[in-house]
Amino acid sequence: MAQSRTLAFLASLGRRVAQRFMESVLSLQEYMLLSWRGLVAVSTPPHYAREIVAQMDSLGVGSLSIVILTGMFTGMVLTLQSAASLDAFGARPYVGRLVCVSMVRELGPVLTALMVTGRVGSGMAAELGSMVVTQQIDALRVLGSDPVRKLVAPRLLAGIVMVPILTVISDTLGIFGGSLIGIFNLKLSWEFFWRSVGNALTINDLVMGLVKPVVFGFILSSVGCHMGLRTTGGTQGVGTSTTRSVVVASVLILSSDFFMTKLLLVLFPVT
Amino acid sequence: MGDPEPTGFFEAAPEAMARDADEPLVWFGDVHLAYDRPILKGVSFTLRPGTTKVVLGGSGSGKTTILRLILGLLKPDAGTIVVDGTDVGVLGEEEMRDVRLKIGMVFQEGALFDSLTVGENVGYRLSEEGEMEEEEIEARVREMLGFVGLATHYEKMPSDLSGGQKRRVAFARALVARPQIMLYDEPTTGLDPITATTITDLICKVRDLDGVSSILVTHQLRDAFNVARTFMIKKDDEYVTSVVDDIATLEGTEFMMLREGQVLFEGSPYELQTSTDPYIREFLS
Repeated sequence: MAQSRTLAFLASLGRRVAQRFMESVLSLQEYMLLSWRGLVAVSTPPHYAREIVAQMDSLGVGSLSIVILTGMFTGMVLTLQSAASLDAFGARPYVGRLVCVSMVRELGPVLTALMVTGRVGSGMAAELGSMVVTQQIDALRVLGSDPVRKLVAPRLLAGIVMVPILTVISDTLGIFGGSLIGIFNLKLSWEFFWRSVGNALTINDLVMGLVKPVVFGFILSSVGCHMGLRTTGGTQGVGTSTTRSVVVASVLILSSDFFMTKLLLVLFPVT
Repeated sequence: MGDPEPTGFFEAAPEAMARDADEPLVWFGDVHLAYDRPILKGVSFTLRPGTTKVVLGGSGSGKTTILRLILGLLKPDAGTIVVDGTDVGVLGEEEMRDVRLKIGMVFQEGALFDSLTVGENVGYRLSEEGEMEEEEIEARVREMLGFVGLATHYEKMPSDLSGGQKRRVAFARALVARPQIMLYDEPTTGLDPITATTITDLICKVRDLDGVSSILVTHQLRDAFNVARTFMIKKDDEYVTSVVDDIATLEGTEFMMLREGQVLFEGSPYELQTSTDPYIREFLS
Protein backbone atom coordinates (compact mmCIF):
# COMPACT_ATOMS: atom_id res chain seq x y z
CA MET A 1 0.00 0.00 0.00
CA ALA A 2 2.76 2.40 1.01
CA GLN A 3 4.73 1.41 -2.06
CA SER A 4 1.83 2.14 -4.41
CA ARG A 5 1.34 5.56 -2.73
CA THR A 6 5.02 6.33 -3.26
CA LEU A 7 4.79 5.27 -6.90
CA ALA A 8 1.69 7.41 -7.41
CA PHE A 9 3.45 10.38 -5.80
CA LEU A 10 6.55 9.90 -7.99
CA ALA A 11 4.39 9.58 -11.09
CA SER A 12 2.52 12.77 -10.22
CA LEU A 13 5.81 14.57 -9.50
CA GLY A 14 7.21 13.35 -12.81
CA ARG A 15 4.14 14.59 -14.70
CA ARG A 16 4.40 18.02 -13.06
CA VAL A 17 8.12 18.31 -13.79
CA ALA A 18 7.53 17.27 -17.41
CA GLN A 19 4.65 19.76 -17.74
CA ARG A 20 6.77 22.55 -16.24
CA PHE A 21 9.63 21.67 -18.56
CA MET A 22 7.33 21.76 -21.60
CA GLU A 23 5.90 25.12 -20.51
CA SER A 24 9.42 26.52 -20.18
CA VAL A 25 10.42 25.23 -23.61
CA LEU A 26 7.25 26.69 -25.11
CA SER A 27 7.84 30.02 -23.39
CA LEU A 28 11.44 30.11 -24.67
CA GLN A 29 10.20 29.34 -28.16
CA GLU A 30 7.62 32.15 -27.94
CA TYR A 31 10.29 34.53 -26.62
CA MET A 32 12.68 33.74 -29.48
CA LEU A 33 9.90 34.13 -32.03
CA LEU A 34 8.74 37.45 -30.55
CA SER A 35 12.32 38.75 -30.42
CA TRP A 36 12.91 37.80 -34.04
CA ARG A 37 9.64 39.37 -35.21
CA GLY A 38 10.42 42.45 -33.12
CA LEU A 39 13.86 42.85 -34.72
CA VAL A 40 12.37 42.39 -38.19
CA ALA A 41 9.77 45.07 -37.37
CA VAL A 42 12.50 47.40 -36.09
CA SER A 43 14.49 47.05 -39.30
CA THR A 44 11.66 47.24 -41.85
CA PRO A 45 8.98 49.88 -42.51
CA PRO A 46 6.38 50.98 -41.62
CA HIS A 47 7.44 52.46 -38.28
CA TYR A 48 5.26 54.16 -35.69
CA ALA A 49 7.28 57.35 -35.13
CA ARG A 50 5.00 58.67 -32.39
CA GLU A 51 5.28 55.42 -30.42
CA ILE A 52 9.06 55.31 -30.85
CA VAL A 53 9.51 58.86 -29.55
CA ALA A 54 7.15 58.17 -26.63
CA GLN A 55 9.05 55.03 -25.64
CA MET A 56 12.43 56.71 -25.95
CA ASP A 57 11.17 59.53 -23.77
CA SER A 58 9.75 57.11 -21.20
CA LEU A 59 12.79 54.84 -21.13
CA GLY A 60 15.53 57.43 -21.65
CA VAL A 61 14.48 60.76 -20.18
CA GLY A 62 12.31 59.10 -17.55
CA SER A 63 15.21 57.00 -16.25
CA LEU A 64 17.76 59.83 -16.23
CA SER A 65 17.46 60.75 -12.56
CA ILE A 66 17.86 57.21 -11.17
CA VAL A 67 20.74 56.49 -13.56
CA ILE A 68 22.54 59.69 -12.54
CA LEU A 69 22.13 58.93 -8.85
CA THR A 70 23.12 55.27 -9.25
CA GLY A 71 26.19 56.07 -11.36
CA MET A 72 27.41 58.85 -9.13
CA PHE A 73 27.08 57.02 -5.83
CA THR A 74 28.56 53.82 -7.29
CA GLY A 75 31.63 55.77 -8.47
CA MET A 76 31.98 57.43 -5.07
CA VAL A 77 31.68 54.14 -3.13
CA LEU A 78 34.01 52.38 -5.55
CA THR A 79 36.64 55.08 -5.04
CA LEU A 80 36.40 54.84 -1.26
CA GLN A 81 36.60 51.02 -1.24
CA SER A 82 39.36 50.82 -3.84
CA ALA A 83 41.46 53.44 -2.06
CA ALA A 84 41.27 51.43 1.18
CA SER A 85 42.56 48.31 -0.62
CA LEU A 86 45.16 50.13 -2.73
CA ASP A 87 46.60 51.88 0.34
CA ALA A 88 47.88 48.50 1.55
CA PHE A 89 50.19 48.45 -1.49
CA GLY A 90 50.89 52.18 -1.51
CA ALA A 91 49.02 52.42 -4.79
CA ARG A 92 46.42 55.07 -3.89
CA PRO A 93 47.34 57.26 -6.92
CA TYR A 94 46.03 54.50 -9.22
CA VAL A 95 42.53 54.75 -7.80
CA GLY A 96 41.30 56.86 -10.73
CA ARG A 97 42.48 54.26 -13.20
CA LEU A 98 40.72 51.47 -11.30
CA VAL A 99 37.45 53.35 -10.87
CA CYS A 100 37.33 54.40 -14.50
CA VAL A 101 37.96 50.94 -15.95
CA SER A 102 35.53 49.29 -13.50
CA MET A 103 32.78 51.78 -14.28
CA VAL A 104 33.16 51.71 -18.05
CA ARG A 105 33.68 47.98 -18.52
CA GLU A 106 31.37 46.56 -15.90
CA LEU A 107 29.47 48.55 -13.32
CA GLY A 108 28.08 51.27 -15.57
CA PRO A 109 26.44 48.91 -18.10
CA VAL A 110 25.19 46.37 -15.55
CA LEU A 111 23.85 48.76 -12.92
CA THR A 112 22.21 51.00 -15.52
CA ALA A 113 20.52 48.01 -17.12
CA LEU A 114 19.31 46.67 -13.77
CA MET A 115 17.91 50.07 -12.74
CA VAL A 116 16.15 50.52 -16.08
CA THR A 117 14.79 46.96 -15.84
CA GLY A 118 13.26 47.74 -12.47
CA ARG A 119 11.77 51.01 -13.64
CA VAL A 120 10.86 50.45 -17.29
CA GLY A 121 10.97 46.68 -17.96
CA SER A 122 8.38 46.11 -15.28
CA GLY A 123 6.28 48.96 -16.68
CA MET A 124 6.36 47.42 -20.16
CA ALA A 125 5.15 44.08 -18.79
CA ALA A 126 2.40 45.78 -16.76
CA GLU A 127 1.21 47.98 -19.64
CA LEU A 128 1.12 45.21 -22.24
CA GLY A 129 -0.33 42.76 -19.70
CA SER A 130 -3.17 45.18 -18.96
CA MET A 131 -3.79 45.53 -22.69
CA VAL A 132 -4.01 41.75 -23.02
CA VAL A 133 -6.49 41.26 -20.18
CA THR A 134 -8.70 44.15 -21.36
CA GLN A 135 -8.69 42.76 -24.94
CA GLN A 136 -6.92 45.83 -26.34
CA ILE A 137 -4.36 43.60 -28.08
CA ASP A 138 -7.21 41.71 -29.77
CA ALA A 139 -8.77 45.05 -30.70
CA LEU A 140 -5.49 46.16 -32.28
CA ARG A 141 -5.40 43.03 -34.44
CA VAL A 142 -9.05 43.37 -35.41
CA LEU A 143 -8.51 47.02 -36.38
CA GLY A 144 -5.69 46.09 -38.73
CA SER A 145 -2.55 46.68 -36.63
CA ASP A 146 0.29 44.29 -35.98
CA PRO A 147 0.85 44.39 -32.19
CA VAL A 148 4.52 43.47 -32.67
CA ARG A 149 5.10 46.39 -35.01
CA LYS A 150 2.95 48.78 -33.01
CA LEU A 151 3.96 47.86 -29.44
CA VAL A 152 7.06 45.64 -29.37
CA ALA A 153 9.27 47.25 -32.04
CA PRO A 154 9.20 50.79 -30.53
CA ARG A 155 10.08 49.36 -27.09
CA LEU A 156 12.92 47.26 -28.49
CA LEU A 157 14.31 50.24 -30.38
CA ALA A 158 14.04 52.45 -27.31
CA GLY A 159 15.91 49.85 -25.23
CA ILE A 160 18.66 49.32 -27.81
CA VAL A 161 19.24 53.06 -28.33
CA MET A 162 18.60 54.59 -24.92
CA VAL A 163 20.31 52.10 -22.55
CA PRO A 164 23.77 52.75 -24.14
CA ILE A 165 23.17 56.52 -23.88
CA LEU A 166 22.13 56.16 -20.24
CA THR A 167 25.18 53.98 -19.63
CA VAL A 168 27.53 56.66 -20.99
CA ILE A 169 25.87 59.19 -18.68
CA SER A 170 26.15 56.78 -15.75
CA ASP A 171 29.85 56.09 -16.50
CA THR A 172 30.63 59.79 -16.74
CA LEU A 173 28.82 60.62 -13.53
CA GLY A 174 30.42 57.62 -11.78
CA ILE A 175 33.92 58.75 -12.67
CA PHE A 176 33.01 62.33 -11.77
CA GLY A 177 31.73 61.16 -8.37
CA GLY A 178 34.91 59.15 -7.91
CA SER A 179 37.00 62.22 -8.72
CA LEU A 180 35.14 64.24 -6.09
CA ILE A 181 35.99 61.63 -3.44
CA GLY A 182 39.56 61.38 -4.76
CA ILE A 183 40.09 65.12 -4.46
CA PHE A 184 38.18 65.99 -1.28
CA ASN A 185 38.55 62.77 0.68
CA LEU A 186 41.71 61.09 -0.58
CA LYS A 187 43.60 64.35 -1.16
CA LEU A 188 44.55 63.48 -4.75
CA SER A 189 44.98 66.31 -7.23
CA TRP A 190 42.21 66.92 -9.74
CA GLU A 191 44.68 66.91 -12.61
CA PHE A 192 46.36 63.70 -11.52
CA PHE A 193 43.06 61.88 -11.11
CA TRP A 194 41.76 62.80 -14.54
CA ARG A 195 45.12 62.16 -16.22
CA SER A 196 45.13 58.64 -14.81
CA VAL A 197 41.57 58.21 -16.09
CA GLY A 198 42.62 59.34 -19.54
CA ASN A 199 45.65 57.06 -19.56
CA ALA A 200 43.64 54.05 -18.36
CA LEU A 201 40.86 54.11 -20.94
CA THR A 202 41.52 52.23 -24.17
CA ILE A 203 39.38 51.73 -27.21
CA ASN A 204 38.79 48.12 -26.06
CA ASP A 205 37.26 49.39 -22.82
CA LEU A 206 34.93 51.66 -24.74
CA VAL A 207 33.88 48.87 -27.10
CA MET A 208 33.11 46.58 -24.18
CA GLY A 209 31.31 49.37 -22.36
CA LEU A 210 29.10 50.11 -25.35
CA VAL A 211 28.38 46.64 -26.72
CA LYS A 212 27.04 45.36 -23.42
CA PRO A 213 24.33 48.01 -22.93
CA VAL A 214 23.00 47.41 -26.45
CA VAL A 215 22.44 43.75 -25.55
CA PHE A 216 21.10 44.63 -22.10
CA GLY A 217 18.67 47.14 -23.61
CA PHE A 218 17.41 44.46 -25.97
CA ILE A 219 17.05 41.94 -23.14
CA LEU A 220 15.10 44.18 -20.77
CA SER A 221 12.71 45.38 -23.51
CA SER A 222 12.13 42.00 -25.12
CA VAL A 223 11.59 40.23 -21.79
CA GLY A 224 9.20 42.99 -20.63
CA CYS A 225 7.19 42.71 -23.86
CA HIS A 226 7.21 38.91 -23.84
CA MET A 227 6.03 38.66 -20.25
CA GLY A 228 3.37 41.31 -20.84
CA LEU A 229 1.98 39.73 -23.99
CA ARG A 230 1.70 36.24 -22.46
CA THR A 231 -0.26 37.52 -19.44
CA THR A 232 -3.22 35.40 -18.43
CA GLY A 233 -5.54 35.47 -15.44
CA GLY A 234 -6.75 39.06 -15.20
CA THR A 235 -5.23 41.72 -12.96
CA GLN A 236 -3.53 39.11 -10.79
CA GLY A 237 -1.80 37.83 -13.91
CA VAL A 238 -0.55 41.36 -14.67
CA GLY A 239 1.15 41.46 -11.26
CA THR A 240 2.74 38.06 -11.85
CA SER A 241 4.02 39.08 -15.30
CA THR A 242 5.49 42.29 -13.91
CA THR A 243 7.42 40.50 -11.16
CA ARG A 244 8.53 37.75 -13.49
CA SER A 245 9.78 40.20 -16.11
CA VAL A 246 12.07 41.95 -13.59
CA VAL A 247 13.43 38.66 -12.23
CA VAL A 248 14.00 37.04 -15.62
CA ALA A 249 15.49 40.16 -17.23
CA SER A 250 17.82 40.77 -14.25
CA VAL A 251 19.08 37.18 -14.27
CA LEU A 252 19.53 37.26 -18.05
CA ILE A 253 21.42 40.56 -17.85
CA LEU A 254 23.80 39.25 -15.17
CA SER A 255 24.38 35.88 -16.85
CA SER A 256 24.79 37.34 -20.34
CA ASP A 257 27.26 39.83 -18.84
CA PHE A 258 29.54 36.95 -17.86
CA PHE A 259 29.43 35.32 -21.29
CA MET A 260 29.82 38.62 -23.12
CA THR A 261 32.80 39.53 -20.95
CA LYS A 262 34.45 36.19 -21.76
CA LEU A 263 33.84 36.71 -25.47
CA LEU A 264 34.84 40.36 -25.56
CA LEU A 265 38.04 39.68 -23.60
CA VAL A 266 39.02 37.26 -26.35
CA LEU A 267 38.03 39.62 -29.15
CA PHE A 268 39.33 42.79 -27.48
CA PRO A 269 42.01 41.76 -24.97
CA VAL A 270 43.10 44.12 -22.19
CA THR A 271 46.26 45.91 -23.24
CA MET B 1 -43.45 49.53 -41.59
CA GLY B 2 -42.48 50.25 -45.20
CA ASP B 3 -39.03 50.35 -46.76
CA PRO B 4 -36.33 51.87 -44.62
CA GLU B 5 -34.86 55.12 -45.79
CA PRO B 6 -31.06 55.25 -46.05
CA THR B 7 -29.39 56.76 -43.01
CA GLY B 8 -26.88 58.70 -45.05
CA PHE B 9 -23.81 57.69 -43.05
CA PHE B 10 -23.49 54.19 -44.36
CA GLU B 11 -22.90 54.56 -48.06
CA ALA B 12 -21.30 51.14 -48.36
CA ALA B 13 -24.42 49.46 -47.08
CA PRO B 14 -25.94 48.75 -50.52
CA GLU B 15 -23.01 46.40 -51.10
CA ALA B 16 -24.09 44.45 -48.07
CA MET B 17 -27.77 44.67 -48.98
CA ALA B 18 -27.26 43.66 -52.60
CA ARG B 19 -25.90 40.26 -51.73
CA ASP B 20 -27.57 37.02 -52.68
CA ALA B 21 -29.79 36.24 -49.70
CA ASP B 22 -28.95 32.52 -49.92
CA GLU B 23 -25.19 33.05 -49.90
CA PRO B 24 -24.06 32.82 -46.27
CA LEU B 25 -21.93 35.60 -44.84
CA VAL B 26 -20.58 33.36 -42.12
CA TRP B 27 -20.59 29.60 -42.25
CA PHE B 28 -19.36 27.24 -39.52
CA GLY B 29 -18.98 23.61 -40.56
CA ASP B 30 -18.35 21.06 -37.78
CA VAL B 31 -15.87 23.28 -35.95
CA HIS B 32 -13.85 21.79 -33.11
CA LEU B 33 -11.52 23.59 -30.73
CA ALA B 34 -9.84 22.44 -27.53
CA TYR B 35 -7.16 23.72 -25.16
CA ASP B 36 -6.72 21.73 -21.99
CA ARG B 37 -10.43 20.88 -22.34
CA PRO B 38 -12.82 20.88 -25.32
CA ILE B 39 -14.23 24.38 -26.03
CA LEU B 40 -16.25 23.75 -29.20
CA LYS B 41 -17.44 20.30 -30.21
CA GLY B 42 -18.73 20.17 -33.77
CA VAL B 43 -20.40 23.57 -34.01
CA SER B 44 -22.19 24.29 -37.30
CA PHE B 45 -24.34 27.28 -38.21
CA THR B 46 -24.95 29.88 -40.90
CA LEU B 47 -25.38 33.65 -40.83
CA ARG B 48 -27.38 34.89 -43.78
CA PRO B 49 -27.13 38.44 -45.16
CA GLY B 50 -29.31 40.99 -43.40
CA THR B 51 -30.06 38.76 -40.44
CA THR B 52 -29.03 38.69 -36.80
CA LYS B 53 -27.86 35.54 -35.05
CA VAL B 54 -28.24 35.71 -31.28
CA VAL B 55 -25.91 33.27 -29.55
CA LEU B 56 -27.06 32.38 -26.06
CA GLY B 57 -25.46 30.18 -23.45
CA GLY B 58 -24.00 30.07 -19.99
CA SER B 59 -20.48 31.10 -19.02
CA GLY B 60 -17.81 28.92 -20.62
CA SER B 61 -20.16 27.50 -23.25
CA GLY B 62 -17.95 28.79 -26.10
CA LYS B 63 -19.95 31.87 -27.21
CA THR B 64 -17.07 34.35 -27.32
CA THR B 65 -14.81 31.72 -28.87
CA ILE B 66 -17.09 31.70 -31.93
CA LEU B 67 -16.50 35.43 -32.44
CA ARG B 68 -12.74 35.03 -31.97
CA LEU B 69 -12.72 32.27 -34.58
CA ILE B 70 -14.61 34.42 -37.08
CA LEU B 71 -12.06 37.20 -36.58
CA GLY B 72 -9.15 34.79 -37.00
CA LEU B 73 -7.88 35.53 -33.48
CA LEU B 74 -8.07 31.77 -32.92
CA LYS B 75 -7.73 28.90 -35.39
CA PRO B 76 -9.97 25.81 -35.23
CA ASP B 77 -8.50 22.38 -34.56
CA ALA B 78 -10.91 20.92 -37.12
CA GLY B 79 -13.81 22.07 -39.29
CA THR B 80 -14.33 24.97 -41.67
CA ILE B 81 -15.10 28.65 -41.05
CA VAL B 82 -16.05 30.68 -44.09
CA VAL B 83 -16.50 34.46 -43.88
CA ASP B 84 -17.86 36.13 -47.01
CA GLY B 85 -16.60 33.30 -49.19
CA THR B 86 -13.13 33.08 -47.60
CA ASP B 87 -11.98 30.13 -45.51
CA VAL B 88 -10.47 32.00 -42.55
CA GLY B 89 -9.26 28.84 -40.83
CA VAL B 90 -6.29 28.61 -43.18
CA LEU B 91 -5.40 32.30 -43.52
CA GLY B 92 -2.32 33.89 -42.00
CA GLU B 93 -2.32 37.13 -40.01
CA GLU B 94 -1.53 39.30 -43.05
CA GLU B 95 -4.28 37.77 -45.19
CA MET B 96 -6.78 38.05 -42.33
CA ARG B 97 -6.54 41.86 -42.46
CA ASP B 98 -8.62 41.98 -45.64
CA VAL B 99 -11.29 39.79 -44.06
CA ARG B 100 -11.27 41.83 -40.84
CA LEU B 101 -11.96 44.98 -42.86
CA LYS B 102 -15.43 43.57 -43.52
CA ILE B 103 -16.09 42.97 -39.83
CA GLY B 104 -16.84 45.34 -36.98
CA MET B 105 -16.37 44.03 -33.45
CA VAL B 106 -17.75 45.42 -30.21
CA PHE B 107 -15.71 43.83 -27.43
CA GLN B 108 -16.99 43.10 -23.97
CA GLU B 109 -16.17 46.20 -21.84
CA GLY B 110 -15.33 48.06 -25.08
CA ALA B 111 -11.56 47.38 -25.21
CA LEU B 112 -10.85 51.05 -25.95
CA PHE B 113 -7.19 52.09 -26.13
CA ASP B 114 -6.43 53.84 -22.82
CA SER B 115 -3.73 56.08 -24.27
CA LEU B 116 -5.88 57.49 -27.09
CA THR B 117 -8.73 60.00 -26.98
CA VAL B 118 -12.28 58.98 -27.90
CA GLY B 119 -11.82 60.54 -31.35
CA GLU B 120 -8.51 58.73 -31.92
CA ASN B 121 -10.06 55.46 -30.79
CA VAL B 122 -12.96 55.75 -33.22
CA GLY B 123 -10.75 56.87 -36.10
CA TYR B 124 -8.01 54.32 -35.38
CA ARG B 125 -8.80 51.95 -38.23
CA LEU B 126 -9.07 54.76 -40.77
CA SER B 127 -5.75 56.23 -39.62
CA GLU B 128 -4.11 52.80 -39.89
CA GLU B 129 -5.40 52.33 -43.43
CA GLY B 130 -3.85 55.67 -44.36
CA GLU B 131 -6.19 56.20 -47.31
CA MET B 132 -8.05 59.23 -45.96
CA GLU B 133 -6.94 62.77 -45.11
CA GLU B 134 -7.00 63.72 -41.44
CA GLU B 135 -9.87 66.15 -42.01
CA GLU B 136 -11.94 63.43 -43.67
CA ILE B 137 -11.21 61.04 -40.82
CA GLU B 138 -12.23 63.62 -38.24
CA ALA B 139 -15.46 64.34 -40.11
CA ARG B 140 -16.30 60.62 -40.28
CA VAL B 141 -15.44 60.11 -36.62
CA ARG B 142 -17.63 63.02 -35.53
CA GLU B 143 -20.45 61.60 -37.66
CA MET B 144 -20.08 58.20 -35.98
CA LEU B 145 -19.96 59.74 -32.52
CA GLY B 146 -23.10 61.68 -33.39
CA PHE B 147 -24.76 58.43 -34.46
CA VAL B 148 -24.11 56.87 -31.04
CA GLY B 149 -25.07 60.09 -29.24
CA LEU B 150 -21.60 61.11 -28.05
CA ALA B 151 -20.78 63.96 -30.42
CA THR B 152 -19.42 66.15 -27.64
CA HIS B 153 -17.00 63.52 -26.33
CA TYR B 154 -14.44 63.68 -29.16
CA GLU B 155 -11.55 64.98 -27.03
CA LYS B 156 -12.26 62.95 -23.89
CA MET B 157 -10.14 60.05 -22.70
CA PRO B 158 -11.73 56.59 -22.20
CA SER B 159 -11.08 56.85 -18.45
CA ASP B 160 -13.49 59.81 -18.34
CA LEU B 161 -16.39 57.76 -19.74
CA SER B 162 -19.02 55.64 -18.01
CA GLY B 163 -19.41 51.94 -18.84
CA GLY B 164 -22.30 52.60 -21.22
CA GLN B 165 -20.45 55.44 -22.96
CA LYS B 166 -17.42 53.20 -23.47
CA ARG B 167 -19.61 50.60 -25.20
CA ARG B 168 -21.10 53.28 -27.45
CA VAL B 169 -17.64 54.55 -28.39
CA ALA B 170 -16.64 50.92 -29.10
CA PHE B 171 -19.77 50.71 -31.25
CA ALA B 172 -18.74 53.82 -33.21
CA ARG B 173 -15.19 52.43 -33.60
CA ALA B 174 -16.56 49.17 -35.01
CA LEU B 175 -18.87 50.99 -37.43
CA VAL B 176 -16.46 53.61 -38.72
CA ALA B 177 -15.09 51.47 -41.57
CA ARG B 178 -18.60 50.49 -42.70
CA PRO B 179 -18.42 46.75 -42.10
CA GLN B 180 -20.67 44.13 -43.68
CA ILE B 181 -20.80 42.08 -40.50
CA MET B 182 -21.04 43.26 -36.90
CA LEU B 183 -20.03 41.07 -33.99
CA TYR B 184 -21.17 41.95 -30.47
CA ASP B 185 -19.59 40.27 -27.47
CA GLU B 186 -21.85 40.72 -24.44
CA PRO B 187 -22.45 44.39 -25.30
CA THR B 188 -24.96 44.97 -22.50
CA THR B 189 -23.41 42.96 -19.68
CA GLY B 190 -22.98 45.03 -16.55
CA LEU B 191 -25.12 47.93 -17.80
CA ASP B 192 -28.33 49.23 -16.24
CA PRO B 193 -31.55 48.41 -18.19
CA ILE B 194 -31.89 51.92 -19.69
CA THR B 195 -28.32 52.03 -20.96
CA ALA B 196 -28.67 48.44 -22.20
CA THR B 197 -31.74 49.51 -24.21
CA THR B 198 -29.67 52.31 -25.78
CA ILE B 199 -27.17 49.70 -26.93
CA THR B 200 -29.81 47.28 -28.27
CA ASP B 201 -31.45 50.19 -30.13
CA LEU B 202 -28.09 50.89 -31.81
CA ILE B 203 -27.84 47.23 -32.83
CA CYS B 204 -31.32 47.42 -34.36
CA LYS B 205 -30.54 50.72 -36.12
CA VAL B 206 -27.49 49.27 -37.86
CA ARG B 207 -29.39 46.10 -38.78
CA ASP B 208 -32.60 47.69 -40.04
CA LEU B 209 -31.39 50.90 -41.64
CA ASP B 210 -28.20 49.64 -43.21
CA GLY B 211 -28.79 45.92 -43.66
CA VAL B 212 -25.69 44.92 -41.73
CA SER B 213 -25.69 41.30 -40.63
CA SER B 214 -24.69 40.63 -37.07
CA ILE B 215 -23.91 38.03 -34.46
CA LEU B 216 -24.89 38.99 -30.94
CA VAL B 217 -23.34 36.96 -28.15
CA THR B 218 -25.11 37.45 -24.86
CA HIS B 219 -26.63 35.76 -21.87
CA GLN B 220 -29.01 38.68 -21.24
CA LEU B 221 -32.32 37.25 -22.44
CA ARG B 222 -34.15 40.56 -22.08
CA ASP B 223 -31.71 42.29 -24.43
CA ALA B 224 -31.69 39.37 -26.87
CA PHE B 225 -35.49 39.49 -27.21
CA ASN B 226 -35.39 43.31 -27.41
CA VAL B 227 -33.16 43.01 -30.48
CA ALA B 228 -35.53 40.46 -32.01
CA ARG B 229 -38.70 42.51 -31.33
CA THR B 230 -37.51 46.03 -32.09
CA PHE B 231 -37.46 47.50 -35.58
CA MET B 232 -36.22 50.90 -36.67
CA ILE B 233 -37.02 53.17 -39.56
CA LYS B 234 -35.93 56.72 -40.34
CA LYS B 235 -38.61 59.25 -41.18
CA ASP B 236 -37.90 62.94 -41.72
CA ASP B 237 -34.49 62.70 -40.02
CA GLU B 238 -36.07 61.01 -37.00
CA TYR B 239 -35.56 57.42 -35.96
CA VAL B 240 -38.89 55.68 -35.38
CA THR B 241 -38.99 52.56 -33.26
CA SER B 242 -41.64 49.88 -33.47
CA VAL B 243 -41.91 46.87 -31.20
CA VAL B 244 -43.53 43.63 -32.37
CA ASP B 245 -45.51 42.01 -29.58
CA ASP B 246 -46.42 38.76 -31.33
CA ILE B 247 -43.18 36.78 -31.11
CA ALA B 248 -44.48 34.14 -33.55
CA THR B 249 -44.31 36.64 -36.42
CA LEU B 250 -40.72 37.76 -35.86
CA GLU B 251 -38.34 37.48 -38.82
CA GLY B 252 -34.70 38.29 -39.39
CA THR B 253 -33.41 37.13 -36.02
CA GLU B 254 -32.34 33.59 -35.26
CA PHE B 255 -31.43 32.26 -31.85
CA MET B 256 -28.76 29.69 -31.15
CA MET B 257 -28.16 28.15 -27.75
CA LEU B 258 -24.78 26.68 -26.84
CA ARG B 259 -24.19 24.21 -24.07
CA GLU B 260 -20.73 22.88 -23.23
CA GLY B 261 -19.39 23.70 -26.69
CA GLN B 262 -22.26 22.17 -28.64
CA VAL B 263 -25.27 23.69 -30.38
CA LEU B 264 -28.23 22.74 -28.23
CA PHE B 265 -30.81 24.74 -30.15
CA GLU B 266 -31.09 26.79 -33.35
CA GLY B 267 -34.28 28.43 -34.50
CA SER B 268 -36.63 31.41 -34.31
CA PRO B 269 -37.39 33.36 -31.12
CA TYR B 270 -40.80 31.67 -31.02
CA GLU B 271 -39.29 28.20 -31.31
CA LEU B 272 -36.88 29.05 -28.49
CA GLN B 273 -39.63 30.29 -26.25
CA THR B 274 -41.78 27.23 -26.87
CA SER B 275 -38.93 24.73 -26.57
CA THR B 276 -39.50 21.87 -24.14
CA ASP B 277 -35.79 21.15 -23.60
CA PRO B 278 -35.22 21.19 -19.79
CA TYR B 279 -31.94 23.16 -20.05
CA ILE B 280 -33.54 25.82 -22.26
CA ARG B 281 -36.58 26.01 -19.98
CA GLU B 282 -34.26 26.55 -17.02
CA PHE B 283 -32.25 29.15 -18.95
CA LEU B 284 -35.40 31.06 -19.92
CA SER B 285 -36.96 30.94 -16.48
